[in-house]
Amino acid sequence: MSIIEEKASRPTAPRPEPERVDGPNAATPGAVPLVALSALASAVLVACGGGSGETDSRLGAQAVGSRSAGAGTGTAVPPLSAAEAARFLQQAQFSSSAAEIEQVRAIGMAPWLAQQMAAPLGPTGWQWLMDQGYNREDIIFDSQYSDFMAWNQLITAPDAVRKRVALAWSEILVVSASGLDGESPSFAMAAYWDVLNTHAFGNFRQLLEAITLNPAMGAYLNTRGNQKEDLVTGRQPDENYAREVMQLFTIGLYRLHPDGSIQRDGSGRPMETYGPSDVSNLARVFTGYDLDETGHARATYPVAFRNPMTLRERLHSRLEMEFLGARIAANTPGAEALRLALDTLFNHPNVGPFIGHQLIQRLVTSAPSPQYVARVAAAFADNGAGVRGDLRAVTAAVLLDPEARQGTAHQAPTWGKLREPVVRCVQWARTFGAVSSDGGWRMHDWSDPSTALGQSPLRSPSVFNFFRPGYVPPNTALALGGQTAPEFQITNETSVAGYINFMENAIAFGIYGSSTSKLWVPSYDAELALSGDPPALLARLNLLLAAGALSQATLDLIAQAIASIYSTGANTDWGSQARVWSAILMVMACPEYLVQK
Amino acid sequence: MTPPTSLARRAFLRRVGQLGAAGVATPWALNLATMGEAAAADASDYKALVCIFLYGGNDHGNTLVPYEATGHAQYAAARLTLATPRENLAATALTGGGLPPGRQYALAPQLAPLKPLFDARKLALQLNVGPLIQPTTLDQFHARSVPLPPKLFSHNDQQSVWQSSGAEGAVHGWGGSLGDLALAGNGQSLFTCISVTGNAVFLAGAQAMAYQIGAAGPVPISAATDPNGLYGTSTACRDALQLLITQSRTHVLESDLNAVTTRAIAAQGSLGRALTGGPDFSAQLPDVVGAKARSLNRQLKMVARLIAARAALGLKRQVFMVSLNGFDTHDGLLTRHPALLTQLGAAMAGFQNAIDAIGMGPNVTTFTASDFGRTLSSNGDGSDHGWGGHHVVMGGAVKGGTFYGQAPAPGLDGPEDVGQGRLLPSTSVDQYAATLARWFGVPEVQLPWVSPYLGNFSAETRNLGFL
Repeated sequence: MSIIEEKASRPTAPRPEPERVDGPNAATPGAVPLVALSALASAVLVACGGGSGETDSRLGAQAVGSRSAGAGTGTAVPPLSAAEAARFLQQAQFSSSAAEIEQVRAIGMAPWLAQQMAAPLGPTGWQWLMDQGYNREDIIFDSQYSDFMAWNQLITAPDAVRKRVALAWSEILVVSASGLDGESPSFAMAAYWDVLNTHAFGNFRQLLEAITLNPAMGAYLNTRGNQKEDLVTGRQPDENYAREVMQLFTIGLYRLHPDGSIQRDGSGRPMETYGPSDVSNLARVFTGYDLDETGHARATYPVAFRNPMTLRERLHSRLEMEFLGARIAANTPGAEALRLALDTLFNHPNVGPFIGHQLIQRLVTSAPSPQYVARVAAAFADNGAGVRGDLRAVTAAVLLDPEARQGTAHQAPTWGKLREPVVRCVQWARTFGAVSSDGGWRMHDWSDPSTALGQSPLRSPSVFNFFRPGYVPPNTALALGGQTAPEFQITNETSVAGYINFMENAIAFGIYGSSTSKLWVPSYDAELALSGDPPALLARLNLLLAAGALSQATLDLIAQAIASIYSTGANTDWGSQARVWSAILMVMACPEYLVQK
Repeated sequence: MTPPTSLARRAFLRRVGQLGAAGVATPWALNLATMGEAAAADASDYKALVCIFLYGGNDHGNTLVPYEATGHAQYAAARLTLATPRENLAATALTGGGLPPGRQYALAPQLAPLKPLFDARKLALQLNVGPLIQPTTLDQFHARSVPLPPKLFSHNDQQSVWQSSGAEGAVHGWGGSLGDLALAGNGQSLFTCISVTGNAVFLAGAQAMAYQIGAAGPVPISAATDPNGLYGTSTACRDALQLLITQSRTHVLESDLNAVTTRAIAAQGSLGRALTGGPDFSAQLPDVVGAKARSLNRQLKMVARLIAARAALGLKRQVFMVSLNGFDTHDGLLTRHPALLTQLGAAMAGFQNAIDAIGMGPNVTTFTASDFGRTLSSNGDGSDHGWGGHHVVMGGAVKGGTFYGQAPAPGLDGPEDVGQGRLLPSTSVDQYAATLARWFGVPEVQLPWVSPYLGNFSAETRNLGFL
């Protein structure tokens, strides 16, 4: 807030981008080399005994090599099918192009994933906002550029796996553009988004620290400007971040077994991880922080919203801090207190199962087996090289687990997850090469369920995300089994209608951000070429959009329906286009697509 | 500790056979006359409950402010810069019964539109209500010698506890339980429980389910229903699409999803027709005030329109839910909270005017709920998560102009202060819900269906008396 008055008179010339301490070229602590990663994936499979030799070897060449039994017996291993590769791609990123499918089939899933995770961070959201010239005084309080930035990143970034995983993190370590006010909220959101991307394949300890000191998070959960207690007046430190960093970002409310199940006491009651006193004590750690205005220029270079928050020692609590069994002595300097506190959280045994379970839910399935959670938690605890919190190892464990890779024939009829509306929309845009008609990327907050998607990136209604990991949809068959299905929390009579209506227009005419700017697919060339052969068109859409999950009955139904549309076969013919649009919409509306399995 | 009704519910479900597998409400097979008479009412009888949920945890301390000089001084000493100055409260100071001698409260200045309703005895204030499993003293709380609600002070869980007695993951709320008892008496029973906000457990019953409607009305799926067909081109594609999104599926997630879509299509037609030509209420509840969108006005306007359409839908008992978000005022309390209360006060008064205008004043009772109250002490520019808080009950049937429950000490360290002015509730949500349920028509013997812990409170305290 102070920044508004203080900075008004500063020079406003743009400055060159400084070298970033936490930039993509910085060494990533705990990252393991590609070979170790593949070995880990293999070890996970062997250890759990859940993967058949067949599944195992398909993960990649190195995995095969590490399993002498499979190689030695000379068992013929069928190559990875295109559908299997597409299914993996749709879990690991947003879409699955024909080229990507062939890449994965050629080199195997684990090596492909390792390559993607090792690829450099793509262009940042921050830089995109600067390049677009949104660092202007007249729009300094406007957060809509955060929406443009987020959609642009999700749809165009070359590092799609990183973006998909960062989106998952944005639904765990939540900051929402809807909860920020004051100056430069779009830049603050971009800096937050960039932090998630920078650390998505780093180490959780560094991610936790970067997110704790991120100005957007500081504003969202009130660490920014948080002051120590005042014993005279009775003023207390703000407890918001202290509570949520435990409840939502690291350990959760109940002690967990390594497989994510809740620990209970002798009377069967869940054992709580912390109480009010832990919150009050930990809150002291997060006092004394505020914006670091080094290099800041109001509106034009609002880097105070990217610099990690800085400690004002005189506003930092000097009291003893006792929480989660740890004790930080009175008068410990603030930076040291923060280090000790974050180490304590990071090393809590809950983090692996707590975070692992949620990453599985975001990418693979809503109700993973305890064994699956345990395997991911084990990867969190040790990446195979003795490092805790290595997010490459964790992400690989999530995506390469035998439960993730089991074929649909082996799945229970409750397995899988409802695809999120944001991910569906990004998948459409990426699959068919949607572009911004004027380069402006006026993709707005599409959260309105009546008229839009019912969800929009970085627009959660609260720190509790769009949906909760423990959400059980009432009055459903899922509820009878007590099964969680988080995405159903934003699924209702209004949202299902809003989504289909929104995509009906998007597919054919584009998504209008203004009367002169839209995100659209200029031409569905490959699909139009098949408009005269509906079964072939459906086969293509089934692979690219649904990883082959559509049943023959559904494919036949759609193919017959579009065949009834009169078409001359010319690409510009309304009938040809209507066939393609209708087929895409029917695929993207049907439940076999919407439930990713 | 097992809530009594979860056992009752299981037994009940066994009696009625399994729940409908997914989605579409199965006809209520049981003759409810043997279980209750919530629905056994004459044709002219109609009652609705409207829950206004204040997401984030309303700062009760600045909603209803101690006004007598000594009490205000104690309040101000605790709140520091957060205190509303006493001179700003003169116009909203309330004179009403129910308070100890010498105590007085004033509404926040932004709630001024509610004062005439209080004075007209259409509005009551319930003091210090929150989740409890049984009556609890401060000593018992500190000694943890009695069962306490799960996950106190946590947003998502206390939202769920307020709505359902259970933490996150609960699948039955007490609004839905009221709906269960009302289903049989309602013509188009799908519209028994309606949410004009997002999904919430409050309106989920064992059989009754929350129908979700947009603030602008039900949304048609044009691609599946357009007379001209999909893209104005193909009726075959339209019909294929409709089949795909409504057919039964063996995969459970697919099946549950299609059940929602099926309801959406089925409801949209009949509801759309019932709403057409009805009163608009934009005068009482404008969408925009001073260039700012008023979300709560829009939601309550839809509730008023639905109530006006009740006869066309054959409805006699309904439960509605609307919400206002943003009450988690850890910071900016002095700017954000007054803005929220401005919305709330205008929306509640406007809604009562709208309901009175169609002559349904005595038939509709509106009440507030929230995650929790907040600390009385200040963190500099905001307050933190608490427990008990004050709430508002409004309607023509309300015995208004009075305070109910026990007034907590105006400052810190009172007999209900569990720390930093967080209030140990002196009235439970179960008592609050049961009082509303009794008015709704639920007989005494069935109140535990709605309020599972009611039996833990002595008989003479189970009816709070505001209805």
